[in-house]
Amino acid sequence: MLLPEHDFVKPRTLAEGLAVLRDSAGEIRLLGGGTDVVFNMRCRLLTPDTLLSLKDLPELQGVAVLPDGSLRLGAASRLTDLIASPLVRERYPALVKAFRAVASRHVRNLATLGGNLCLDTRCWFTNQTKEWRDAKGPCLKTGTEGCHAIQGSPICVALNNADSPPALIALDATVTLVSYRGERTLPLQDFYREDGVRHTTREADEILAWVTVPPTSDRLVFLKETARQGMDFSYGAIAIRANGAGASASRLRIVLGSLTTAPRVLESAAERLAALGLGDDGIEAACAVLRDALGPLTNLYSPAAYKRELARILLRKAVLELREMPA
Amino acid sequence: MRKGLITLHVNGDAHEVLVSSQHSLLDVLRGKLKLMGTKEGCTTGSCGVCTVNNGRGEAVLSCLTPALEWDGAHITTIEGLERNGCLAPIQQAFVAYHAVQCGFCTPGVIMSAQAVLNATPNPSEDDINDGLAGVICRCTGHIKVKEAIRHVGEFAATFKE
Repeated sequence: MLLPEHDFVKPRTLAEGLAVLRDSAGEIRLLGGGTDVVFNMRCRLLTPDTLLSLKDLPELQGVAVLPDGSLRLGAASRLTDLIASPLVRERYPALVKAFRAVASRHVRNLATLGGNLCLDTRCWFTNQTKEWRDAKGPCLKTGTEGCHAIQGSPICVALNNADSPPALIALDATVTLVSYRGERTLPLQDFYREDGVRHTTREADEILAWVTVPPTSDRLVFLKETARQGMDFSYGAIAIRANGAGASASRLRIVLGSLTTAPRVLESAAERLAALGLGDDGIEAACAVLRDALGPLTNLYSPAAYKRELARILLRKAVLELREMPA
Repeated sequence: MRKGLITLHVNGDAHEVLVSSQHSLLDVLRGKLKLMGTKEGCTTGSCGVCTVNNGRGEAVLSCLTPALEWDGAHITTIEGLERNGCLAPIQQAFVAYHAVQCGFCTPGVIMSAQAVLNATPNPSEDDINDGLAGVICRCTGHIKVKEAIRHVGEFAATFKE
């Protein structure tokens, strides 16, 4: 099946790309590796007037060390290249694990970091053929109102299934968005919104240019649960970062992915673990607050009860792994 | 642009092709260049049968990438592996170890295997699993395929560049 009709624009520089965003009328989609956008265009979920290819923009490539020791990752860097980068491998092994968790090597050889961060939210009522969706009827994501996942929901509850955000949020990464109006940098956590239709705070004329990861000596664990190994979207993922060594930690950051519309930072669970340590008591106390921290969940891709149980299991497994890590 | 003239270097030959923004790389390989070895499967990135190798010898999905993105790029397809009628070692290994059943996924599997070998001539079990995870065979499994990849060295001597 051919892709929907559109204009394909491939700027040579970032400034050229920003000018296209300033001057073009109609809906513009930014294209990284295409593994998400082209898929959604095939399903006719996206029918943009223009595709703006960012893949080869020189400003958005590669890994750089900033004066304060942070790593700046170009948003158009391929996941494969970030996985191979000695700088990333050496400093953030668990982040490399998160990048490797994305789809298959075939996909990672095309897919970009920015593309994974902007990965469209998924719902089994919308990620279907157009014929299937037409038979079911429109919803907030494909029309103007209605939700098949939660009847009467005022906002779209599609899931954010990207693998790299939890680990990057745990590392306190920031994203820099650039437009012809200027640039702004915000914590990755604030980049996401609890709305499956407009799931990021990126404005229409902005390009996600860089991801900055501050230096840290903390431990980081990333885990992802899937139906099958090798290549699959996740049922749930967790990233936990902690200072200290062994069972002692005073500062933690816990982020769950794929269970909700935006990656979820679990502050109450992190506080329990910081207060009680990473022993079994701490784990139980942290698991006890998970239900409240998660709030209402959907049955999308897995039942809500399964998601709650999975969150507890991931938390337990991740803390155990954290405890065993060499300091 | 809605249409554009791009240069594609496929299996060492340069082609100038007029492509539309609606075409994927796969559409151009099969529809315009008539290289029918690369198969069209799901076209949504799940099955991997459309796998070709990019200029760095890595496996990429030709269905999920607009053709206009590939202007000036070097691509290797399944047709580009043999030399003067002599099958590449990985192809010979697939024949010798019966790593083919119906054959539909085979071009994608072989190009994925070739990409693994391009990266590491002696791949570990993990390398092979990782490199083949993105391509699916509905007939049988990956046991024979992995056997063929492990034994590819036996056929190196018969292959003349």
